[in-house]
Parts: sequence; structure tokens; C-alpha cells
Amino acid sequence: MVEFKDVSVTYSSGVDALNKINLKINDGDFAFVVGPSGAGKSTLIKLVLKEIDATSGEVIVNGFNLRKLRRRKVPALRRTIGVVFQDFRLIPTMTVYENVAFVLRVIDAPAKYIRSRVPYVINLVGLSSKAKSYPTELSGGEQQRVALARALVNDPQLIIADEPTGNIDPALSYEIVGLLKGINECGTTILMVTHEHDLVRYFGGRIININSGSIAFDEVIGGTNENQ
Amino acid sequence: MKISSIRYLVHQGFKGIWKNRMMSFASFCIMLVSLLMVGISLLLALNINRIIGGIEDKSEVVVQIKDGCTEEQIDELKNKIGALPNVSTIEFYSKEKAWESMVKDMSDEEKELFHYADDNFLPDTFRLTVHDIKQMTQTTTQIDTIDNVESTRSPTELTDVLISIRRVLGIISGAIVVALIIVCLIIISNTTRASVFARRKEINIMKYVGAKNSFIRIPFFIEGMVVGLLAAAGALGLTMFAYDGVYSIFNDDFKLWSVLGVNNLYSFDDLFMPVTIAYAVAGALIGAVGTSFSTGKHLKV
Ligand SMILES: Nc1ncnc2c1ncn2[C@@H]1O[C@H](COP(=O)(O)OP(=O)(O)OP(=O)(O)O)[C@@H](O)[C@H]1O
Ligand SMILES: [Mg+2]
Repeated sequence: MVEFKDVSVTYSSGVDALNKINLKINDGDFAFVVGPSGAGKSTLIKLVLKEIDATSGEVIVNGFNLRKLRRRKVPALRRTIGVVFQDFRLIPTMTVYENVAFVLRVIDAPAKYIRSRVPYVINLVGLSSKAKSYPTELSGGEQQRVALARALVNDPQLIIADEPTGNIDPALSYEIVGLLKGINECGTTILMVTHEHDLVRYFGGRIININSGSIAFDEVIGGTNENQ
Repeated sequence: MKISSIRYLVHQGFKGIWKNRMMSFASFCIMLVSLLMVGISLLLALNINRIIGGIEDKSEVVVQIKDGCTEEQIDELKNKIGALPNVSTIEFYSKEKAWESMVKDMSDEEKELFHYADDNFLPDTFRLTVHDIKQMTQTTTQIDTIDNVESTRSPTELTDVLISIRRVLGIISGAIVVALIIVCLIIISNTTRASVFARRKEINIMKYVGAKNSFIRIPFFIEGMVVGLLAAAGALGLTMFAYDGVYSIFNDDFKLWSVLGVNNLYSFDDLFMPVTIAYAVAGALIGAVGTSFSTGKHLKV
């Protein structure tokens, strides 16, 4: 669950990126965050990850009140969240398998669990045959699926994705969002930032539109795919 | 933390050394040379100190007793001087004994010459050693004021020189140690900086998936420590080799030293444990501390 209460963010440069945002995303929700460039979408994501702190107001993520959360406890928060970036951020010197397994090693998971869990999520994103490949040997869509597997592997309560389809072929974007939808159906909350209106219109769901640091509208619309 | 995680982190540390092998090798060399210089200057200082200490222990104050003192007066004087806090040992040296030993050292011609001296013109003396050589001058001035003391003679000039040699030596070796430790820390922290930079993407991702800072740091820590320990091992080997060479020159070829009454050098067997421990601790510590300087600021994500 993600909750914003009167949240404002002013960067040290003086830019007001967010202005008294109130927002609640319940467990199991799937929400698109849309809006023009510079509206404050990435700022919202950074708040959830506690990469930055709110200038005022309260942010609550998966039961953590981020204002009160100590630096030392930030890893505990992040272990409940899976992140997907626009630029994939895979480690080029590691294979697909290692890129995913790496997350579990970082959180000190048992070796036996790693050996069973990693192939499972790689299979889930349809990359079993590429497990031993390196990121440079994969297409953009495939790389983003690896990133998705990495976000999933720790079985997080929430996945946040900042323009996950921004760097890949529009046709492949549907595949990625389709995967996210599938993950959401298994109970994971998903917050996805995107610029692609076609994608939003096609899948439908909750749309949060941010403009100049404020929420312009926040509504649920029906997707065109469901009408077919 | 699980055994598998520890294995993983140690493995990552060694992998870091290999991936970064040019920098690792450079810092290994610089640490080796630095440790060696520190080690040699300390060993040198240690041995010079020992030699000077030997000379100092043998430097005596000679107290000349006024002519014509009775035995009781001499005893009383001995007690008085012996009671001074800085006086370590005091020994009476009679004029007869002094005469004997003087004659013994003479050549035959000199003996001939002295045969004509009708009287023992040498005085009765005390020979005393002091606890603290730095206060020797004060002590002799004190003794000078006591009744029945004719005069005192002490090797104050020599001891002054020895004292200042010791002081300068202490300052120089201290300065060398401090300077080289700083150089090592800078070098190691730069090596790690390169290593951290090479892996900044990885670190960034680790932060996002909830890695604790300690988990990110440990491989770099291990990397620095291993390089430090390797440099320490190298320095130890070279020191042992060089020291044995110097030691054998001083001990086998120049008996002169012992003739002069100077202490021998320490043998490396006596120094092996302290030197090994010092090198290992210094190497590991410098390696580990150096890395933590440079990892700190990369962890803020
Ligand atoms: N680190 C920063 N320091 C100062 N200003 C910043 C910083 N990051 C973002 N901003 C400013 O805050 C505002 C919101 O930025 P943000 O990145 O949230 O926009 P966005 O909605 O993600 O845009 P885009 O769609 O282009 O990614 C912008 O005006 C931006 O210039
Ligand atoms: Mg953005």
C-alpha cells in the first residue's frame, strides 16, 4: 500500500516538483501514472523508494512511514519493493541468471532457495532459453523482461516501474505491460509511469494524471482490450 | 549472515582484485615499498637505540675525593652520594687500585719512566652510574656541592650528543612512519575508488534492491585487506633477507663492535614475531581503512 498525505517536494534548486499531493494506492491495485514531461512523476517514484524525502507531508509505503524511517532501515523498505527502470540497469558482466540471482544474494537468501526461485521467475518472463546469455546479447524487450524478473524474484508487495517501455519497441511494450498485468493478478501492487497513451487506453485501469506537481485527475477507465 | 553469503562476498573481493588488477598491483607495489621503508627505518632506529643505550650504560661519573679523608669520611660520603635519587651504582676506587691498573696498562718503557715517581699522585675516587642519563649534569652539580668532594668528571658532552641523536632519530622515524602511512591510505583509497567506480552500476542496483551498506562494503574491504596482507608478506620476506645480510656483516666480520663494548644488533630471530605482526596488522589495517574512505560517499543512493 502506498499513501501520500499532503506531500510537497521542493528540490534544493528551488523547483517545486510536487505540490500537496494526496494519493492512496491499495494493495493489489494497478495504477498508471501519466503526465507531461517535468510534471513530477519520477519525483513521486523517488519518494516511494526513499531516494529523496518529502519537503512536507507524509509518505507511507508498505507500512513504513518514510518520514520516521531511519537510514539504516531503508534496505528493509526496499526489500518490499521491486523496481524497473527505463534503461533496464542490468549488470553487463553478469548473465541473465546472475543478474536475477544477485538480488537474492544481496538480501542473504539461502542458496537452495536461490537455485529454485531464479529459474522459476526467468521462466515466468519467458526467458528460460536465454538464462546463460549476457545482457548485450539480448534485445531491448528481452532485457526489460530480465529487469522484470529481477524486480519479481524477491516476491515484493509492490512493483514500481518508471517508463519501463520507454526504450523498447512499441509492439513489445504490450508484452511487458501484459506481464505486469499478470503479476498484478497474483496480488502484487503495481505503479507504472508511462508516456504511452495508446498503452493506457488499451489496458485501462486506474489512471493518475499529474500536471505541474498536482494531480489533474485520478480515475478508473475501461480498457479497449476488454471490449473485444 | 549465511556461510554462502560470506563465501560470495569473499569471492567478490578476490574478483575485484583481479578485475582491477593493474590498480591492485600498483597499490601492492606502493604498499610493499612503504611498508619496507617503515620497517627498515624502525629496525634501524631500534638498533641504533640499542647501541646508544649500551654506550650510555657504560658512561660513568668519576667523583674525586679530597685528599686526606679518613675511612669514615669516605664511607659517609659514599652513603650521601648513593642516596641521591638518580645514582644507580656507586663504587669506591682507591688510589692504590687506580695506580695498579694504570701501571698494568703501561708499556715497559713507560714503566721505567714511572719508576722514578716516588709517590702515588692519583686520588681516591668513586665511580658511579646513573639511572637517567638526561639528568647526569644536574646530578654531578649536586655532587660537586657535597663536602669532601674535590671535583667530578662526567662524559656530559658525549651523553648530550647521544641524547640528541636519539631524539632526532625518534622524530625522523616517527615522521617517516606517519608520512608513509598517509601515502598508503591515499593510494589504497584511490585503488578502491577505481574499483568502486568500475562497479558503480552494480552498487546502484544493490542499493535499489535493499542491500545493506555493510554488504556492499565487505568485498572492497576484503579487496583492500588482501592487497595489504600480500604487501606485508612481501615486505616481510625482503626485510628478512636484507636484515640477515646486514646482521652477518656486523656480527661475523667486525668483531670491532664488541671490542668497543657496544651492544650487538638484535638478531632477526628475536624480531621475527613482532615484525611479522606489525607488518600484517599495518598492511591489513591500512588496506581496510583505506577502502572505507572511498566507499563511503558512493553508497548514498
Ligand atoms: N535532482 C533534481 N534537482 C533539481 N530539480 C529536479 C531534480 N529532479 C527533477 N527535478 C525537477 O523537478 C521537476 C519534476 O521532475 P520529474 O523528474 O519528477 O519529472 P517527470 O514527470 O518524471 O518528467 P519526465 O516525464 O520527463 O521523466 C522538473 O522540473 C525537474 O526539472
Ligand atoms: Mg521521469
